[in-house]
Amino acid sequence: MSLETLRPSPAFKDVLPVEYKDLVDHGPYNNRNGKDSQSVKVTDMGKFKEVIEEHPMCAGCAMTLFIRLVYIGMPNPEHSIVVGTAGCGRLAISQASVPFVYGNYGDTNAVASGLKRGLEVRFPNQKKDVVVMAGDGGLIDIGFQGLMHSWFRHEKFTTIMLDNEVYGNTGGQESGMTNQGKVLKMAPRGKFGEKIDAMGLAKVAGVDYIARLAPTNPARVARTVRRAIMVAREVGSSFIQAYTSCNIEYSIPTPDVMKDAFEIEKERYGFEEIISPAAKEYLDDVEKKAKKKKSDK
Amino acid sequence: MANVVGSSVCRTAVDEGKPADWVPGGEKQTVVDPMKMFHELPREKQFITGSEAARESMRRANIDIAIAYPITPQSESMQQAGYLYDEGYIKEYYRAEEEIGTFSAISGASRAGVRSLTATSGPGLMRGLEAVSSWPGARTPIIMLNMCRVINTPLAIQPDNIEMSFLLNTGILMLHAENQQDFYDYPLAAIMASEQVDVTLPAVVSTDGFFVTHARGPVSITPEEYKLPPRDGWRSAVPAMDNENPPARLSRDAPIQKSNFISYHMHSSWQQEVFAAVERSAKYFRAYLGGLVEVVNPGAEDFIIASGCAVSQAREAVRQEGEKGRTVGLVKIKTIRPFPTEEIFEAVKGAKRILVPEFNQAGWLHKEVCSVLYGRTTGVIKNGPRVYGGMTMPTEMILEWLADFRKEVK
Amino acid sequence: MLIQDNLILTRSDPTGNGGTQFIYRVKDYGLAAVSRPQEEIAMIHWEVEIVKFSGENTTSFEICHTTELATKTLKFYTDKSLNEFLEKSFQYFEELGSLEKMLPQEP
Repeated sequence: MSLETLRPSPAFKDVLPVEYKDLVDHGPYNNRNGKDSQSVKVTDMGKFKEVIEEHPMCAGCAMTLFIRLVYIGMPNPEHSIVVGTAGCGRLAISQASVPFVYGNYGDTNAVASGLKRGLEVRFPNQKKDVVVMAGDGGLIDIGFQGLMHSWFRHEKFTTIMLDNEVYGNTGGQESGMTNQGKVLKMAPRGKFGEKIDAMGLAKVAGVDYIARLAPTNPARVARTVRRAIMVAREVGSSFIQAYTSCNIEYSIPTPDVMKDAFEIEKERYGFEEIISPAAKEYLDDVEKKAKKKKSDK
Repeated sequence: MANVVGSSVCRTAVDEGKPADWVPGGEKQTVVDPMKMFHELPREKQFITGSEAARESMRRANIDIAIAYPITPQSESMQQAGYLYDEGYIKEYYRAEEEIGTFSAISGASRAGVRSLTATSGPGLMRGLEAVSSWPGARTPIIMLNMCRVINTPLAIQPDNIEMSFLLNTGILMLHAENQQDFYDYPLAAIMASEQVDVTLPAVVSTDGFFVTHARGPVSITPEEYKLPPRDGWRSAVPAMDNENPPARLSRDAPIQKSNFISYHMHSSWQQEVFAAVERSAKYFRAYLGGLVEVVNPGAEDFIIASGCAVSQAREAVRQEGEKGRTVGLVKIKTIRPFPTEEIFEAVKGAKRILVPEFNQAGWLHKEVCSVLYGRTTGVIKNGPRVYGGMTMPTEMILEWLADFRKEVK
Repeated sequence: MLIQDNLILTRSDPTGNGGTQFIYRVKDYGLAAVSRPQEEIAMIHWEVEIVKFSGENTTSFEICHTTELATKTLKFYTDKSLNEFLEKSFQYFEELGSLEKMLPQEP
């Protein structure tokens, strides 16, 4: 959608909803002074209108922070479509001012494959970014087949796993991404198998950009999302596995949610990027150009 | 030239072996008004298989994307779709991982606002049914060709249309093709009806596998230089998921985020609207197909009501009875959804005896017929004849049932 | 397409096995050609029977394996070869019809 489409007509401006006006005047849809992607900064959070604000997520939920950062990281939210499935994440994602396809259980990566290809046919001259954002269970358990095959086909969209290591929305059952031995519902004697190596699977499938992180460094989350989306736009599949703890099912006291994120990050969830040569070449090119533009000013 | 998705580098048709001056077949065709295509264009008679009829239908349907997973007896047609993609009549095409993946992907494609086609057969339909049953609620126009076969254990690949009964209450438009000719005509009509703003629903064209798909029959087809108008992604009851609309909460698929009284209200009105849209599609099918039913020998005392392959056998029974001087009426039901309630009633209101031959064990058509005629006619509706599991229905079988019926009901 | 001359009926194969049957008639003889479904599409072919009619109804005929044309069910794999056979058989049936008329009528 052109940002021109989004600019409220001056004559009607005073009757438009304030949320709409704010997105244009003080948000990612604002006049970009010639830039082709959004210029909001993570460090300015709270000072601009985000594409997602209200949500019914639990108090202190780390996933919510992460989802807000994803939307800030999107280079062009005005040309993005998010695909999700049942789970905690969609409660927030569906409240964003970016179209959200809420599909069936585990269908995200198949829906995104068809959606992305359809958009390429319909808008040959306008890149549309498709982002799958779904939980660990939705992707690695019920959505496993669709996930893997979208990667094998090198479908050009980004998959973001909101890994809270549990079926949070369903009420706390163990998932494929739960750590071995963890006692949760449906794992009364402790989780049987190991936490599934989703990054390893992505590597085997030839995903061009793979990253793992915890939401401890907001600027890094936004940059990683941006890189993943840019690679999906031009090179191939991309995947982000994000630790987004469930403070309810894991009984993390609300004030300690970030402390937990730092601890888990240090222990087993350190930031890691695996970038294919083609993706690296492309990202170097894009990021060099961006730096050059900055230094020109 | 469009980029080819599905590789880690941008690939074009040239990269896939096409010459630089290649012009896709679809670009050489001329768009024609649907009514002109259905009723006015000259037709050439060919003797081709149902799969070939489906291919010629797809060639003229201006399809943007086709996605399918192979299954007998559907695979023959979707291979043909692959050739159409190669020739440039279909813009995107891939073999998906399995049917949940297929039917989910095709719903994604439809959400992008492009004309989307898939196809399947019995067990494949069963596998992907969750996705299929969510299409109408998502208001995604999709065309699905369904080549019916046995779904239950033990395995068989012969015709049996029990799978259609699983679609009856989904809100999907359902057509039942009798023969190769219908399998050419119906998909084109179904596409145009499904994309009307006041319809915006998926459509399934079923036919009885093998007898139609893997056998030759006479088909009159329009010249291949004409195609249907493209899908207009902007004309739709709900916006496409293309982010071309002003920002809003566009979670079209889930007005219900949590269980509460208001969400139940929203969901029920959403469902009412889906089923109302099914009824609204009737006027388009009447125009495109010349009616939701075909009636042979109106006013007869004996009537056969059938759909699909059973119509062909019934037709022959009617003809043979005619040669013996006995008039038997026939109602061929073209659209199962919308169900032609009034048309059926009008046709058989004077009938004494009504037979409903079917290719399935459950007799879903018999139940449908009974439900619309109950309390409105005095005719006796016979529960059969039926064959299933791949059994055949010889014309003689219908004639014997008719003879017994006449003895039973004077 | 098959030749349309002398074609008296096109119908869904009444055995219920699927496929289309074409019935040709010249005087009292004729041909019934059926193309049935095949799991392997390339194996689709014509099965042809020479038939003898006993009345005016399209279905009042019996398979006839006693003519010089054929003593068994014939198979054709292309429309062209069947069409060539049809033309020859029409001529044969014409002659056969004329010859049969010349035979002394049995009491």
